[in-house]
Amino acid sequence: MSGVLTACHLGPTPYREGLALQEGLVRLRAESIAAGETGPGDWLLFPDHPPVLTVGRGGSETSLRVTRGALERLGIELVEVSRGGDITWHGPGQLVGYPIVDLARRGRDLHRFLRDLEEALIDALERWGVSARRAPGRTGVWAGEEKIASIGIAVRNWVSYHGFALNVAPDLEFFDLIHPCGLRGIHMTSLAARLGPRAPALGEVRRDVAAMVSRRLGYRRVRWAAAGEVRRWVAGAAAVPVENTADSPAA
Amino acid sequence: MPISIVVPQLGESVVEGTVSKWLKQVGDRVRKEEPLVEIQTDKINVEIPSPAEGVLQAITVLEGATVPVGTEIGVLSGTAADAAAAVAALQPPAGPQAPPGLLAPEPARASERAPSVAVVRAPEPASAAPVSDPGAAESQGDSTRSGNLSPAVRKLMREQGVALDELASISGTGLAGRVTRDDLLEYLKPRAPRSAAVARGLPPAGAPVVAPAVEAAPVTEPARGGAAPGAAAVTVAPAVPLPGLVPGPRVSTAGAPSGPREEIVPFSKVRKLIAENMVRAKHTAAHTHCFDEADMSAIVALRKEWAPRLQAQGVKLTYMPFFIKAAVLALREFPWVNGEVRGETMVVKRYYNIGIAVGRDEKGLIVPNLKDCDRKSLVQLAAEVNDLAARARADRLNPDEIAGGTFSITNAGVYGAVNSAPVIHVPEVAILGVHKIAERPVVRDGQIVVRPMMNAAIGFDHRVVDGELAVKFLRRVCELLERPELLWFYA
Repeated sequence: MSGVLTACHLGPTPYREGLALQEGLVRLRAESIAAGETGPGDWLLFPDHPPVLTVGRGGSETSLRVTRGALERLGIELVEVSRGGDITWHGPGQLVGYPIVDLARRGRDLHRFLRDLEEALIDALERWGVSARRAPGRTGVWAGEEKIASIGIAVRNWVSYHGFALNVAPDLEFFDLIHPCGLRGIHMTSLAARLGPRAPALGEVRRDVAAMVSRRLGYRRVRWAAAGEVRRWVAGAAAVPVENTADSPAA
Repeated sequence: MPISIVVPQLGESVVEGTVSKWLKQVGDRVRKEEPLVEIQTDKINVEIPSPAEGVLQAITVLEGATVPVGTEIGVLSGTAADAAAAVAALQPPAGPQAPPGLLAPEPARASERAPSVAVVRAPEPASAAPVSDPGAAESQGDSTRSGNLSPAVRKLMREQGVALDELASISGTGLAGRVTRDDLLEYLKPRAPRSAAVARGLPPAGAPVVAPAVEAAPVTEPARGGAAPGAAAVTVAPAVPLPGLVPGPRVSTAGAPSGPREEIVPFSKVRKLIAENMVRAKHTAAHTHCFDEADMSAIVALRKEWAPRLQAQGVKLTYMPFFIKAAVLALREFPWVNGEVRGETMVVKRYYNIGIAVGRDEKGLIVPNLKDCDRKSLVQLAAEVNDLAARARADRLNPDEIAGGTFSITNAGVYGAVNSAPVIHVPEVAILGVHKIAERPVVRDGQIVVRPMMNAAIGFDHRVVDGELAVKFLRRVCELLERPELLWFYA
């Protein structure tokens, strides 16, 4: 392993475009692994999605609390995706992270990967004074009895995609549209709900989360890439790693 | 040789996976490494690539079913020759209208997942080829009678695995001796209980089974282009729910004489959690028990007097609220019992969330808890206990109601037990067991009298709760039950 995790803030990204970028990177990563090359390396993508509901393989529309018509009126798309887990919401104020990671190098241990991601998020939350925990049998990260981050992963050719969604300061009312993760009576919380005015900005949390994910997954450092680099990789243009990148302070 | 498609190792702690989606249908040709099926475990959905190039011959575990790692979920014809033979058998050259994927079972609907449809794979009879679809065979000009078959009959034949040449043995009552759906159903009658038995005997994992159904459903002509050596015969079992094939964990005790003597029932999610919790409890807490008894005369009288009054207000008064009250008061006096072991520390809690073990028959035990019982009146507790138990049985608990308990009570008396040694609901450190209240002779002031007596038990974690403490606590609980007026003075 090169020991480098390339993080990238994609900026505003419609959900389907983000999915296409992930799938493109997964394909490149798998091809490079098969060819014994580094290729694009392992990535951690941070898109800013407009409000969207996604349903994973573990879910169904019964976890929806409103009609599809109501969703249309709200301008919220419902996308069925191949990740694990049930229904969830993504949108502004949420830190969505997609690790595109070679799991074959990590012993092909899916549970360990899940636990590492959860621990990374818990580490990041701890930095901001929010004490969070894992709940056995209920993937995700919990602050008290409330859920603060959701996780749903997909794996293709032992490369991961999809990922986690950490509530930094989203409008939590969006979660009223659904039974999050198919669990009845789940309450969602956020850093803003927990910390009030002391809550960090999305960008600060992004930097911390990248650092913690990198550390938990055992990378040497984080390299931050411009969004253009991902798009160039996926578009097939040979990408030259950008040199003027800042290492994560914690890496 | 056919190649098994199995649920691969997905991690050290991953013991099972759920087939979330078949990306290919039976009959589809796949390249090596091409995504074939998706397996979900926990919140990860994994695409499983094809182990080889070939044709998907059978799907033995359908979408929605959860099976252990290593279980065969489908079969692939391995070599190019096998693949060619399978394709030849599936796609007769003269049959442009031959339906693709004709061996595919009916797509499972969300409501009738895996257990209602079973695909049984037979071992490899040397000259066997896949059972042909009647329609496909017809297109090969195989039978003169088959041309008159109605779609309903063809569908039924496909579902029941009836081969075309079997039709010769059925006397048709339709126009010009043609076989009608009723004829076919009549013909299948003796077979029905048999296939049901076969299906009942199916291991849930969907392992290959030598099925008697195979002999009942003889295979059609050998595949064109020569016999297909090693091609497995595939029998598609009825797609309609079979009698006796009850999905879910209910074990049928009816014991049909011809039925199997054992039944394999996979753990439900709840059962698995219970199993894990029980093992963890027994492995971590230093379980110790002690017992006491309480003269329940006062409580029995109180309840007798108050139950009808509360009933009028719509509240059913059981003994549980009294047990909760007594336990909470005793816990306040012995705070160490209302605690949790966290690493090498003991957390003493000054709030009283009392867990109530609720038995739910085959759905499995669950222990929801009532929050802040020290701040609630007996009537309030009564109403909340009833509500909590009812919702526990109806699967309508909120997640926070099964988390955050500080102490638990289990009443084995409702089933008639006079004593028990309950398992601690870890990470709590103690559990109170209450039992049947029965009239027994006891000695009072040198006289033998009859009193409603109840045994009480405490299971405690001897790492942090010493016997002395446990005994004193239990005695206090019994005392509070014997003299409920203490609740007045101290609660």
